[in-house]
Amino acid sequence: MTLAMDGAPGMPLNRAMLKSARRRERRIFSGLALPALVLVACILLIPFAWLAWLSLFDAAGNLSAQNYARLLRPAYVGSFLTTFKVAGLVTALCVVFGYPVAYLLSQLSARAAQILLVFVILPFWTSVLVRTYAWLVLLQRNGVINDWLLSMGVIDEPLALVHNLTGTIIGMVHVMLPFLILPLYASMKAIDPVLLRAAANCGASPSQAFRQVFLPLSMPGLASGIALTFVLCLGFYLTPALLGGGRVAMWSTQIADAVSKFSNWGAASALSVALLVVTAVVLWGVRRLTDALSFSAGKP
Amino acid sequence: MRSGRVNLREVHKAYGSFRALDGVSLDIKAGEFLTLLGPSGSGKTTLLNVIAGFERPDLGSLLVDDVEFITRPPHKRDLGMVFQNYALFPHMDVFSNVAYPLKLRKVDRPSIRRRVMDALEIVHMQHLADRRITALSGGQRQRVALARAFVFEPRLLLMDEPLSALDKNLREHMQIELKRLHRQLGMTTIYVTHDQQEALTMSDRIAVLDKGRIIQLDVPATVYDRPNCKFVAGFMGETRFLPVERRDQTYVLDGRPLRLADTRAASSTGEAWLMVRPERLRWQGDADRDNRIEGRVLDVVYRGDCNQVSVSLPGGHEVAIRHSGAERQPLPQPGDTLALWLPAEASLVIGSAAP
Amino acid sequence: MASCNRAFLTIAATAGVLSFAGVAAAQDVLTVAGFGGNLQTDLRKTIWQPAADAAGVELREETHDGLAAVRVQVQSGSPTWDVVHLGADECAVGGKEGLFEPLDYGTISTKGFDARGYGEHWIATNTYSVVLAWRTDVYKDKAPASWQDFWNVEAFPGRRALSTYPQEMMEIALIADGVDKDSLYPLDTERALAALEKIKANVGVWWSSGAQSAQLLKDGEVDMMAIWGSRVASVITDGAPVKFTYQDAILGYGCLAILKGAPHAASAQKFIAGVVSPDVQARIPEMMPYYGPTNSLAFEVKAFSPEVLAQSNMSPENVKKQTFLDANWWRDNNELVREDYSLLMSN
Repeated sequence: MTLAMDGAPGMPLNRAMLKSARRRERRIFSGLALPALVLVACILLIPFAWLAWLSLFDAAGNLSAQNYARLLRPAYVGSFLTTFKVAGLVTALCVVFGYPVAYLLSQLSARAAQILLVFVILPFWTSVLVRTYAWLVLLQRNGVINDWLLSMGVIDEPLALVHNLTGTIIGMVHVMLPFLILPLYASMKAIDPVLLRAAANCGASPSQAFRQVFLPLSMPGLASGIALTFVLCLGFYLTPALLGGGRVAMWSTQIADAVSKFSNWGAASALSVALLVVTAVVLWGVRRLTDALSFSAGKP
Repeated sequence: MRSGRVNLREVHKAYGSFRALDGVSLDIKAGEFLTLLGPSGSGKTTLLNVIAGFERPDLGSLLVDDVEFITRPPHKRDLGMVFQNYALFPHMDVFSNVAYPLKLRKVDRPSIRRRVMDALEIVHMQHLADRRITALSGGQRQRVALARAFVFEPRLLLMDEPLSALDKNLREHMQIELKRLHRQLGMTTIYVTHDQQEALTMSDRIAVLDKGRIIQLDVPATVYDRPNCKFVAGFMGETRFLPVERRDQTYVLDGRPLRLADTRAASSTGEAWLMVRPERLRWQGDADRDNRIEGRVLDVVYRGDCNQVSVSLPGGHEVAIRHSGAERQPLPQPGDTLALWLPAEASLVIGSAAP
Repeated sequence: MASCNRAFLTIAATAGVLSFAGVAAAQDVLTVAGFGGNLQTDLRKTIWQPAADAAGVELREETHDGLAAVRVQVQSGSPTWDVVHLGADECAVGGKEGLFEPLDYGTISTKGFDARGYGEHWIATNTYSVVLAWRTDVYKDKAPASWQDFWNVEAFPGRRALSTYPQEMMEIALIADGVDKDSLYPLDTERALAALEKIKANVGVWWSSGAQSAQLLKDGEVDMMAIWGSRVASVITDGAPVKFTYQDAILGYGCLAILKGAPHAASAQKFIAGVVSPDVQARIPEMMPYYGPTNSLAFEVKAFSPEVLAQSNMSPENVKKQTFLDANWWRDNNELVREDYSLLMSN
């Protein structure tokens, strides 16, 4: 120490005071997070632990793996596959329809984007039930679309647009599109437009610049949109029940039946736990995949 | 390397009622390092973007090696550009960023490898080829952006305030490196900056822009020592202006006729000023040859390499002079009365507009 | 003397208060929980309130969403409900799980009941029919008359609808496949599923709620279907060109049971005895048309008009055409059948 010191050599240099100030600040910050942590614990962790606990007991209250063994029966395996097939299809279609919309939004002026964004968010303001019934009116055998096509002479027989997988997918894509578009749009807005100029300057045509620069950079947003859409689809109940005509046996229907029809909480819990575990694995996989994609996309 | 000649004729660009470019004409020689210097809003970046193809002007001609470029899309112009914030692709590593222009030009893999590594070597970045962009410092990013801009041997290198995001020491270091690189590669370079020091250090010629027009175009020494108007003079260095009166063929300051090197920059009508810069003032002078300026010391500010002495003149005007310690004169104190000398060869009277 | 008088007055006043309190206590407040909605409103007006009045109890209503809620009540150790109204198979399941007090068949008379209409812990209080209904604008000349016709896609082309829940649908399939309606139980599930497999391609919709089933028929989304009698009645009232038949219909029922540990179990027994008594049951045909009484003696209490008899699913004429659901069979087989059935629907 070459600094001139005016204080006595034994001066405590406020060590204790500074330390307690640091501790106080830390306490305040963790205090701010506390309500959220308590909320998460109350609405997520505790119920989940309870579910997991319930799933370990049979109807008579004895410890048993019966609830999980049941999941291997064909009806449940079939429903599990249906759920993932539907979620996958809906997510894929949402990407196909949602990506161009998000791209358009991100390229528009702030004002135009805001107006268009209202139309994207508009469906959030009506209930899923109302929207689903609206699709029924449009798609059913004597519905608007079939009537119109028949009167135009495009078709001779009404198309089977609803009460099947097609109707379910149409209805679900409509409900889920904003969930894909919004995170994607946000991530596209964050892409510096100068990067596209840089690509053009390097000699990339607009389509090359899009594929080699914009697309990989929008991947994180796309991944979170996909993950959000996919996971929400896995838990879908209302739309498949109303538009699926009983043919689309979603996992959530099985959970609802286990509770409301059979009052079998153990079975319902096992179904929920299984769904949760598989969902977590899928999310993790999607994340790994897109991480790999977004980095390798630019390699020559 | 190929060198490009650029000829701009009467380029106009307006955004609504704002004239970003108001009839700019400019000829850039092959291999020249030309700087577009001006305050923000002067049109220098717009002009660069017109050359790069990111802005389409309302009117005008842009010839590159005698070929009309004005409507050619940017990706077909074959010009390298260094952007203000580097615009490196964050999803690619250093190598891939530099390789990108070559990849688009369908260069074969071994040649890409060789040319990218050569380019990285020139900017001293070959050891970091595998790094992700996010793991680089500002100076390192700057070098990668530079390598990406020249790796495909463009006929023209455009730089948009490339050093503005760096701290002062690194900026000065990079100025010298860029200048060396230009000598080494020899390609025509158009450089945009608002930093007069940078422009003076690096350029073969400087075009000073204001309100969408080129005010003065000349070699650095001329632009600095013989500015053609008050705007250019004020933009270069720590310039102070003292109003002077026109009397017949000469100019008068404080009742004394001025001895002048050059009066061409002063128009025969309108206001006229004597341009005074701290480094041109002298502590001693000769009453027969130099111009005498008297005032009272306002304050003395220590600046490390010198003391800056501010002197207040009659009429509320102010000039400054540096005291390096090498003078015979002792450092004055605030309140002292001083007589300073401006040599005739450094005395320039200018008008408010270029004649 | 004066003090004696004062003492007497005090005693008298106290006694008065006590006796008043005693009267209030005698009027038990009986809590009955049902599924809510219009059905519960109708049930209260038609059969619960008169029975409560007769038993001298005050009626308080709650709603629940199935057996799970009942289980929570009982497991709490001190249920606040006394009586629950449930679907027949839920009553049977609850009885097996020990959620209910045994019914006192000394107090409750089962005279006039079908043997499938009551169990140790529960008794059916109202019936509904799952009937065959069809669009008259589609089947103008020749209407389907039985489940065999429903399965006959050559003679009766058109889109069908069945329920997503196998109850009643399995019975219907067996009847269509030629099983006598009076010897359905125990159900031959393999045969039923095989029969359903045959008709599956012509089932346009598997419906999952009563409202949905009515809408399908009203909109002409399907041409014929298995549907609750009460629902099809409202479709006809709305003016849709629809008819239905009680032929081969399946009679399901709602039931009452007393929660284990119910605070007013004795009053509850009296209340239930009243609900199933012929006099109270006889109110159903007129006040809840398309639902039926569970006690066949109801039709002997008084003379009903021919219209009412034609409508009521339990009139002597109509009940002969139908068969009763076996709640106990469903109690034991529901879950497995449901799995096979949902597999059949989705493949």
